[in-house]
Formats: sequence, structure tokens, C-alpha cells
Amino acid sequence: MSTFKKCCAGLRGLASPLLLVAAWEAASRQDASHAYAFASLASIGAGLRELSGSGELWLSALASLQRTCLGLLYGASLGTLLGAGMALSPLAARLVGPLFHSLRQVPILGLIPLLALWFGSGEGTKVLIVALAAFYPMALNAVEGFSQVDPRYREVGRLFGLGPWQHCWHVLLPSALPSLFNGLLHALAFAWVSSVGCELFLSTGVGLGNMMMNAEAGARMDIIVIGVLCIGLLGYAMNLLFSRLSQRLLRWRPLRR
Amino acid sequence: MTAIAPPIPPLALDTPGALSIRGLNKHYPIDGRRLPVLQHIDLQVQPGEFIAIVGASGCGKSTLLRLIAGLETDYEGQMQLDGKPIRGPSLDRGMVFQDHRLFPWKTVFDNIALALKHSRLDKAHVAARVNEHIALVGLQGFEHAYPHQLSGGMAQRAAIARALITQPKLLLLDEPFGALDALTRVRMQQELQRLWIQQRSTMIMVTHDVEEALYLGDRVIVLEPRPGRIRHVIEVGLAHPRERNAARLQSLRQEILGQLLSQAGH
Repeated sequence: MSTFKKCCAGLRGLASPLLLVAAWEAASRQDASHAYAFASLASIGAGLRELSGSGELWLSALASLQRTCLGLLYGASLGTLLGAGMALSPLAARLVGPLFHSLRQVPILGLIPLLALWFGSGEGTKVLIVALAAFYPMALNAVEGFSQVDPRYREVGRLFGLGPWQHCWHVLLPSALPSLFNGLLHALAFAWVSSVGCELFLSTGVGLGNMMMNAEAGARMDIIVIGVLCIGLLGYAMNLLFSRLSQRLLRWRPLRR
Repeated sequence: MTAIAPPIPPLALDTPGALSIRGLNKHYPIDGRRLPVLQHIDLQVQPGEFIAIVGASGCGKSTLLRLIAGLETDYEGQMQLDGKPIRGPSLDRGMVFQDHRLFPWKTVFDNIALALKHSRLDKAHVAARVNEHIALVGLQGFEHAYPHQLSGGMAQRAAIARALITQPKLLLLDEPFGALDALTRVRMQQELQRLWIQQRSTMIMVTHDVEEALYLGDRVIVLEPRPGRIRHVIEVGLAHPRERNAARLQSLRQEILGQLLSQAGH
């Protein structure tokens, strides 16, 4: 009984996607116009074989992933540095704070025309957009993390005469780590969305977004669906990876027990 | 010259750990006014002596300890450890807080090892020293536990090991057993007494617990609140280790409690 229950619990997460697929297939069998809007499972399968056979799917996914990782790396590191600076130095907070907080009100996608005008529509601009998208959530969470360091732990650091770098490494960084991971998870989501999203605006180059744009021009609904599924699954996988990593690095926290 | 080897030598006069406090005053600025916290504190602590400080809450006893630790540097008067003025924290003064203050992100071993960041020991020697101190406080088997996995008493043992590993001349204890249950507290008091007899470093302990102060202290200092002043210094005059219910301790306890209660009546 209990193993049966466990099995059911494990499969519960699959219930809603399966229902959705069934509804989709039912819709595609209604009439011709429905069959176009909701590509049938069979045609999606055929499209998937075609795309993976030609390698287009892998190349596109790889291009989008690579840009996400690169942008995330730049954006998250700069965000952490700026956040730490604003949290630890009142002068930095006063100098950069107002600019930072007004710029972050502008949606990243709204900046794309400006950035394209300045830097062109190549891969460099796209990486910049992804980096910007990752930068803000990371910086905000870093500010929070580094400004909430418990003064009692700072005192212990002083008692042991830790130097500035030792203090950063042994006291400040671990204190801020839960917030930093929170920021990283948000940054990842924003980076992935904007990595695919900016391909829709800057239509040169390779990527899942470009694949979908081309499919739209060619009226290939099946490829669009494949693109959507790919984006969803890859985003989910990356999120899972980062959550696992954070659980591992934050295993000293009592809350998970 | 003499054929007879002397018995275990008493502490030589130049043994380090002599604390001298003269005319210490401390104020906190509150609403633009200076609120006196400590007034005219004079205290000479001999090397290897155990001083217990008791007093009602708000008498500034924790502030006194933080000043000696060097965590607060804004004071009037003189404070010297072995003739050197106290200007800030230093490894020759260790401190144990009521909340153990182990870093939650480090294991017991790494928490204790962090205190040796400044020593020039290589890794193997650091590990040996840390393990030796883990054994000293009886925490073998918990080297790789995180603080949240320890009981209150065990965490406080680890904190004591961390404070002792730098071999401080002076160990400051700020109500170290205040958050422990009664049974654990008694056990920890015995442990601390054993450590003190072994290490012979000077110790100053702040406590609420008069019995604890009398059980451990060579001298018990009674502070009076608002502003904090030394009201009374009591020489316990019993050898260590002590019998907990010795008649002298009982009578001294009545005396100190009487003093503390009469303050409260003010």
C-alpha cells in the first residue's frame, strides 16, 4: 500500500503535463484550422527527427545555452561585486545606488533597440543583454546578503585578527551565500529568458529563438512547439542543477533537516 | 646547589597574564548625553588567577569584559596586560561568549582551526593542535559536525577549545554557561575548573550565578549597577578543586546574595 502510494506521489508531477498533451492532441484533431494551430503529436515527432537529424536543434540549443552561461558568468560576477560594494561601503552605496536603482526599473527588453544601435546586432550585444538581465537580480540579492552579516560573527573575526581578505572569505562570503544563491537562481531564469528573447529582436545568428522565428516564417508550427518545449526543459534542467549545487554548498544550514 | 628538587613550582612572578586596570571609566552616548556605564574601576589581576564578576543586569559587567577583550576601544583610564596597554583585540586574550558564536558554515574542526590563521604552523601541525584541543574538551568524534548538529553544551565546549587554542594569557568568559541547562552547567563548571588547573592561564568570568562564581573564582567581584562600580571584592580563599557545598562557600553565597538584593531595593 505504502509503495503504491509512493509511486502515485512520484507520478503526480506528470499528471498535468500528460493532461495538457492529451488536450493538445484532441484539439489538433478538430478540423483543418485547429490542425494548423495545434500541430499533431505525429508531426511534432517528425519535426523532432528532422531537426535532430540535420543537427539544427543541437546547434541552436547550444548557441542559446552558451550565450546564457557566458552572460550569466559576467552578469552574476559583476552583480556580486557591485552588491558587496554597495552593502559594505556606504560611500559606494551613495555613489552608485541611485543610478543602479533607477536603471533597474527599465525592462531589459526595452533597452534592446538602444543597445543594438550602439553595438550592432551581433553575438556580443546579445551576451551583453543576457549579462544585464543576470546582473540586477544578482546585485540586489548580494546587497541583501552582505548587509545582513551578523555583527557577532564579525566580532569573532576581529578577535582572531583576520585580515580583510580572510574576513571576506571566512566570514562575509559564507554569511551572504544563501542570498547569493537565491540571486543566482533568479539571475539564471532572467538570463535564459532574455537569451532566447533577444534572438527574437536581433534576428541574426543562431539559437532556439532564431529557430522559432524561421519556423514562423515557414509556417512550421511543429518546430515552434519543439522550440518552446526545448526552452522549457533546458531552463528546468539548469534550475535543478543550480538548486542541487546550492543545497550542497549550504548543507551547514539547519533549516533543511 | 640544593639536593632536594623543589615540588611543583608555584607560578613564577613573571608568568604572563597580569591584568592591571586603573581608573577605568566608560560612557555611552545616548541622545547626545553621556551615560556613564562604568565608573572608577580599579582591578589588579594576578597571573593565573581566576576572577569571577557578578552583578545585577545592567551593571556593565559585559561591557567591562568587552573592553578588556579590546572589542570596545573608547574608554578613559588605563588597562594593561603584562605592562602593555590594551588598544584592540589581540590573540593574547581569548574570549568565550554566552552564545557560542561558532561559524555555522564551518565544522567544529574548521571553526577551531580558524583561530590559528595567524600562526605560522603548517597544515599537519595545525591539525595536530586542533585535534589535541578537541580531545581536551572531550569532543572526539564530532570534528566534522556542523554547529547546528551539536547540543548547547557541546557547542560551548567547541567555543572554549577555539578560545584556548591560541594559548591566550588571559581568557575572558562572558556568561559562558548562562544558556545551558542546570545539569550541563554543573558539568561544564567542573570541566572549566579542570582546564584552568591544567592551563594556568588567567581567567575572568562574568556570570549571573553566584554559586558558579564562588565555585570557580579565587576572587569574586561584586559590581553595583548604574553606573557600574566595584562594590565589594571577596577573597574565597579555598584551594581548587573545591567541594561544591563547602560551609565557607555557603556563607559567602548568603553574603553576596544579600548585597545583590540590597542593590535591587534601591
